[in-house]
Amino acid sequence: MIEAEGLTKRYGAKTAVDGVSFTVQPGKVTGFLGPNGAGKSTTMRMIVGLDRPTAGRVTVNGKPYAAHRSPLAEVGALLDAKAVHTGRSARNHLLAMAATHGIPTSRVDEVIDLTGLHAVASKRVGGFSLGMGQRLGIATALLGDPRTLILDEPVNGLDPEGVLWVRNIAKYLASEGRTVFLSSHLMSEVALTADHVIVIGRGRILADAPVQEIVDGAERKLVRVRSPQATELAELLTVNGAEVDGVEPGLLEVRGSTAVAVGELAAASRIVLHELTPVASTLEEAYMSLTADAVEYRSEDITATDLEGNKA
Amino acid sequence: MSATVTAPAGGNEPAPAPAKRSRVRNVTFPRILRSEWIKLWTLRSTWWTLGSTVVIMAGFALMMAVVVQFLNDQMADVEMAAEDQASMDAVLGAPTVIAGGYEFAALVVGVLGAMVITGEYSTGMIRSTFAANPGRLGAYTAKATVLAGVTAVLTSVSLLLGWLVSYPILNANDMTLDWSDGEALRKLYGVVIYTVLVALFALGIGTLLRHTAGAIFTVVAVFLVIPFIFQIVVAFASSLDWVLTVNKFLPSVAGSAITPSGAQVPEVLDPWVGIGVLGAYTAVVLIAGAVRLKAQDA
Repeated sequence: MIEAEGLTKRYGAKTAVDGVSFTVQPGKVTGFLGPNGAGKSTTMRMIVGLDRPTAGRVTVNGKPYAAHRSPLAEVGALLDAKAVHTGRSARNHLLAMAATHGIPTSRVDEVIDLTGLHAVASKRVGGFSLGMGQRLGIATALLGDPRTLILDEPVNGLDPEGVLWVRNIAKYLASEGRTVFLSSHLMSEVALTADHVIVIGRGRILADAPVQEIVDGAERKLVRVRSPQATELAELLTVNGAEVDGVEPGLLEVRGSTAVAVGELAAASRIVLHELTPVASTLEEAYMSLTADAVEYRSEDITATDLEGNKA
Repeated sequence: MSATVTAPAGGNEPAPAPAKRSRVRNVTFPRILRSEWIKLWTLRSTWWTLGSTVVIMAGFALMMAVVVQFLNDQMADVEMAAEDQASMDAVLGAPTVIAGGYEFAALVVGVLGAMVITGEYSTGMIRSTFAANPGRLGAYTAKATVLAGVTAVLTSVSLLLGWLVSYPILNANDMTLDWSDGEALRKLYGVVIYTVLVALFALGIGTLLRHTAGAIFTVVAVFLVIPFIFQIVVAFASSLDWVLTVNKFLPSVAGSAITPSGAQVPEVLDPWVGIGVLGAYTAVVLIAGAVRLKAQDA
């Protein structure tokens, strides 16, 4: 269980985390979602005491992280960058970490096997790929068999098999009653892994709810219709109370109606349809609409004229 | 099912509270010490720096012994006044020969002392270290303890080796180390204390700067460049009192008062006062490092 209360971090004039309060419950995977620079990593670093909060407090399993007598048994943390000396081998890194908590060598070998690092365990970490580095970070996090796991962008740099492995292990650990707090800037990843999601943007909590609730809350079902008689159909639908957008000639997006209603209406008026697709809103859309105003680094829309202009 | 995580499986099992974790114990200082011990010996740079310290010290001892042989050959026919002979023995006695390369060895050990901490900051390892010891000062103290212990043993071994390799030549010249001569022995264990303090000074600088190149540059400046400049200044302006005063309070000059080179400097502090002055500088730097380590985000 992680409890944050008014947690704030300022760097000079810039506020990275702005008075956030949230609770991460045991027994489920909680996703921590936000665009780059939203304050995810800073929040996670404050939880494990690497960064000192400017204001507010955060506890893990009832106590501030530093007050625990065997912190690695309480929290296993994988923080974004590699937190390993590049000159040391993976196994020696784990042995040194294990020594602080009197963890036996057998457990070190166990987490090496568990994370699939066996073949590279005696190699120096400097030569590791991003994926292997992530696996070593996860091995380090699991070393103390912690009740709470904090994983910052755990699937970053992993191959598809590794991504699946992280998803499974996160769910498995939560099913054992542990607290799993996992950050990502990828909505799809959180949708697949998490039960609950906390959305952060510009240092503030934008949403804190079960994944399903967030999807439902932002629900805006629409129906995509393709027809050679689009203009005629659009008039007909508007008369019947639907909201119609012409996306391109012959293609309409219909809101406030259903695929069934659109189809029946078209049939009754003998209008030919080439396509009739109900489009459910996704978590991605919910996320985009939530964070639309809270994106730190926004890319400008590139238009055809811009490209032409650059060419000239 | 085992009490610990062994394999990811389907998520359909009931959700029991995590079982008692009997294999994880509390963090204690001896355990942090063990961790730092493992960390030190599992880096190649440690073996390189410590290996070159031994080679430098043994090599210099042999070289100095050869120099002694050469001088004795040259002076064989020269009748020397007893007074001159005594002063020459003080400057170029057995301790000077045995500890001939200690100033270089101290620099190498200083590099190691700086890298013990800057290596962790530059690679990000420091975050793992602090995650395991959120109090931070335990890890810092453990690093200092391991560094001091290893430096002391290594310098002693190097001196012993220096004694061994220079023995045949010194013996032939009737200059072997007199184990009953308290002052000669003090000069030798003085070298051990000196190198330990330089290593700790460098650890403190490394903690303050968090940057390998910057820390090594600072240590080399303090223990090599500045004293070298002052050596020149003293040679040309030894009539200026303040020059001599500043010179003898320089960390390297004050610290080396206890070593064989203490006798070679024109004006020097009492050996124990001198090493005390270096100890005070080291304490200040270490404490300043501790304050930054504790207060700043890692």
